[in-house]
Parts: sequence; structure tokens; C-alpha cells
Amino acid sequence: ATIICIDNSEWMRNGDYSPNRFQAQADAVSLICGAKTQSNPENTVGVLTMAGKGVRVLVTPTSDLGKILACMHGLEVGGEVNLAAGIQVAQLALKHRQNKKQQQRIIVFAGSPVKHEKKVLEMIGRKLKKNSVALDIVNFGEEDEEKTEKLDGLLSAVNNNDSSHIVHVPAGPNALSDVLISTPIFTGDGEGGSGFAAAAAAAGGVSGFEFGVDPNLDPELALALRVSMEEERARQEAAAKKAAEEATKQVNAGDQQEGTSQDVTMAENVNSETSDPEKKIHDLMDDENALLQQALAMSMDDSSSTVAVRDTDMSDISAEDHDLQLALQLSVQDIDESEETEMNKALTDQSFVSSILASLPGVDPNDPHVKDLLASIQSQSE
Amino acid sequence: NRETAAMSGDSTTSVLQRGQVDLHDFVDWSGVECLNQSGSHSILNALKKGYREDVSLNLQSDADEQLLIYIPFTQVVKLHSVLIEGQEEEAPKTVKLFANRDHMGFSNVNDFPPSDSSILSTDNIKGQPVAVKYVKFQNVRSLTIFIEDNQSGSEITRVQKIVLYGTTVETTDMKGLKKIEDH
Repeated sequence: ATIICIDNSEWMRNGDYSPNRFQAQADAVSLICGAKTQSNPENTVGVLTMAGKGVRVLVTPTSDLGKILACMHGLEVGGEVNLAAGIQVAQLALKHRQNKKQQQRIIVFAGSPVKHEKKVLEMIGRKLKKNSVALDIVNFGEEDEEKTEKLDGLLSAVNNNDSSHIVHVPAGPNALSDVLISTPIFTGDGEGGSGFAAAAAAAGGVSGFEFGVDPNLDPELALALRVSMEEERARQEAAAKKAAEEATKQVNAGDQQEGTSQDVTMAENVNSETSDPEKKIHDLMDDENALLQQALAMSMDDSSSTVAVRDTDMSDISAEDHDLQLALQLSVQDIDESEETEMNKALTDQSFVSSILASLPGVDPNDPHVKDLLASIQSQSE
Repeated sequence: NRETAAMSGDSTTSVLQRGQVDLHDFVDWSGVECLNQSGSHSILNALKKGYREDVSLNLQSDADEQLLIYIPFTQVVKLHSVLIEGQEEEAPKTVKLFANRDHMGFSNVNDFPPSDSSILSTDNIKGQPVAVKYVKFQNVRSLTIFIEDNQSGSEITRVQKIVLYGTTVETTDMKGLKKIEDH
């Protein structure tokens, strides 16, 4: 059973770790959670924050990774950490773990300067050792000799047979997560060591690829990782991005599908693998999907009265038929390639799609482009 | 069994009644735990046959002078008396016994009333077993021994030997159960 203590103090706003200390820390925490829960299904992880308004337990030890990651959303930076209180609350939370046979471990991210006396920390360390709790310390962020000395003192007080570790991560080109992956914090000791490291490597990556997964070896995983990461960040900038996306998507779509030519009818390339997705394409996909879903829902209810609303929605995207067709084509493709959704099933019903396209403002069913589009959808679903 | 008990009991063997055995063979070794033990001086040095007789092998405390020992049994036993031996100054003094309490920690050990408690005298730590409140230990699945302090108040407690005396209760040995063959 592990509890991770997060430093969410004001000191974490600094950008010396990319993109900022807090985000780098959050990424590392997510990776650790994933690796622990993957390496052994009985492993449990809990999370608490040490700053803000005070020490707060976000989630008690659980093996449900989704629950753990969910509680990390919307964390705010501010205040000062109380390191001693954080560790003590973590110890208390571990005491109440469901499976008493589990080994107890605390992982603390020490980014702020340490204001406690070394003696106080050593006492805390001894108490942890006495109760058979191991401690991993990630020393990052603010750097000064006193801090290092105090944390080293804490480690030696708690360390029992090398079950506790300290890692110093100075700011630099490598991400905090990448540096941690090769340390005992991930590789662990007796926690399914090699499996742990392998799971962590798979999750975080040690290669030079973004997200560490070779898009050629495992395109779906690379895609999924990238999409989920980027989706989160892009959601906040959805409105601003739309305009930019419109201008660029034509170029991107062309690049993705054909590679060179800017052919309007992309029917020929319906089966191309999205081997190297562009961020904006997928943001676009999601926005388009959302809007299309809205459109579908409305058309299912009452087509006549909601034309005006749909009009507004569609006009947000583009003013030209040309762009609209491209957008629809891309969306349909994305849906077909992704997991099964209601949208997917709905859109594979050609009559349904045709009726939608026909009822959309600005789309003339007799337009040769639209006819080609419909033909491509038919061939696709076959 | 009575002979070994008599030898270690020295002058006051009247504490040990007829029929009490060394419960060593009924200890579930896989579940034995000791909090705050020093890595190289573990509970087995005091509890296990061969080790406990070796004077150079002791159980030692680590961060401070307290020890919390958890001993589960392979079957239900009755506990009659406990022998705790050690060297003069660092031997245990205040000892609290808990029957059938699992997974206690130092923080909650004093939240529960002990089944029995004792302050070891010099005679005790030299080999005289302490008789426990027999009525409280009639149905023991696990025994927790909390050593709260030692004779001299030093930072480290050392225990040479721990022996538990008692009797077993008729319990079904699940391993001995055999399926009835249909003929």
C-alpha cells in the first residue's frame, strides 16, 4: 500500500521543469500510480496534498487507477507545504489500509524548501521505521544544501535494509518522470521489481519518442496516449483553437491522408492508418464529433424545429461546403477507426447519414462532391 | 518436556504444572511478526529452538526500546506461562500480553486492555517463567507480546529467549481430513 504526498505549494509554479514544476510532478505521480497498479493487481495507492489550505487526503489507498487519476484533476497550486504533517497523515492513512498484510510505503515529493528542523525529521523517520513504513523521497524543485542535508537525515533515520530511497532530480532537459523511471522508486524492491519497471517503461517510456511508445510498433497505444494527453490540455482552449484548426486542417488532412496531393475527394484513402496523428486533427475530430452528436440528437427529436440551432452549430465550423465535407469525412473516418460508439453505428447506416447531410444547410445533395462523399461512405461500411 | 521445563525453571518449578508443554511446535512461523526489531537481530533469535539457546543470538529493538511481537498458532492453544530471558540491563521489564488481537501497531496497542501484564523481575529474566491469568488465555489463536520498556531504561532492548508454555485444545487439523471414499 502506497501513499503519494504531493507538493502543491506556490513553489510549484516555477517553470524550470517543463512545463512547470507542478505539471511535471503530476505526470510523474500518474505514472507511478499506473505502474504500481499494473505490476500487481493487489497494490493500492492513495494520494494526498501537503499544501493548499492544509494537508488533505484526496484518495485513500485503492487499486482503482481511474479513481486515483480522477482525483488529480483540477488540483490547485498555492500555500506552503507542511512536510511533517503530510508524512504523519500519510502514515495514519496507511494504518487504515484494508489489507493489513500489505507493506506500507510513503512517496513524498519534496519540491519546496524544508522548514522543519533536522531533528524533527529524524524523529519522524524513526517512528516510520518503528512501524515498518518505508519512505521514498523525490528531492526536486528548490535546491539548497540545508534541504538536501535534512532530507538525507530523514532517509537515514527511516531506512531499514535499503527499503527506503531518496532521488535528487535537478531541473534539466529530461522530464521528471523520465528520470524517476530508472530509479528504485519505480523499480522498487520486492514489489515485483522487474514487472514494475517494465510496466513503468511501457507507461512512461525511456526512448526518445514522445510518450515513449514507438508509433510504428504500437500505433494504437501511441495514438491513445497522445490523444488523452492532448485532449485534456486542448479542452480548455477549444473555442480559440477552432478558428486556427479550420485554417490548418485542410493542410493537415491532406498531409495525413495522401501525403502530397491536396485532392478534394478523399474517398480513396478511407483505410489509411493514422500512424502519426497530428494534435489538431484530433482536437478537430473531438469537436466535430461533439457537434455531430448534437446534430444527430436533435435530428432524432424533431428535424424541422431545430434547423436553426443546427445552423448555428454548423456555421461555427465553416462557411464553405468544401470544408464541411472534409470535416464530415474526417469525422466519419475517425469514428470508424475508433472504438464502437453509438455514433459509429448511427453513421454506418447510410440512409441515416444521407438524410442528415441532406438536411444540413448549405449542403446540396446533388452536388458532385457530396455524391462522392456518400459513395465513399457506402464503400467504407462495406 | 517436564524435564526441560524443570531445568529452566530453577528453584521455583511449582509454577509449571503437570501437562504444560512448550508451545514452540504449534507456532505458525509464516505469520510471526515483530515491529521495531533490528534487521540483523530478529524475533527468531529469541523464539526459535536452537537460536534461543544461543547466548550470542538475541532479539534487539531498533528505533527505540519498545517491541511488538505477534505470534499466531497453527491451532488453538491454552497459555499457561511465559518465559522471557535476557541480560540484566537491557532485558524487558514491562510486558503486556494480548490474546487474539491481530495487526496491532505501536499507536493503538495501548487502546486495548491487555489480557495480562507483568513487570519482569530479575528472577524472571534469569529463567523463571511468569504464570499468566490462565482464564484469559483459554482459547488463544494468536498472542501479541508488547515489550514497553526495559530494566535499565536504555535505548535498546535485548531479549535472549522467549518460551511459551501451555496446552493444546482439541482442534480439527484440516490437513488431516480425508475424503470418504465411495465403495
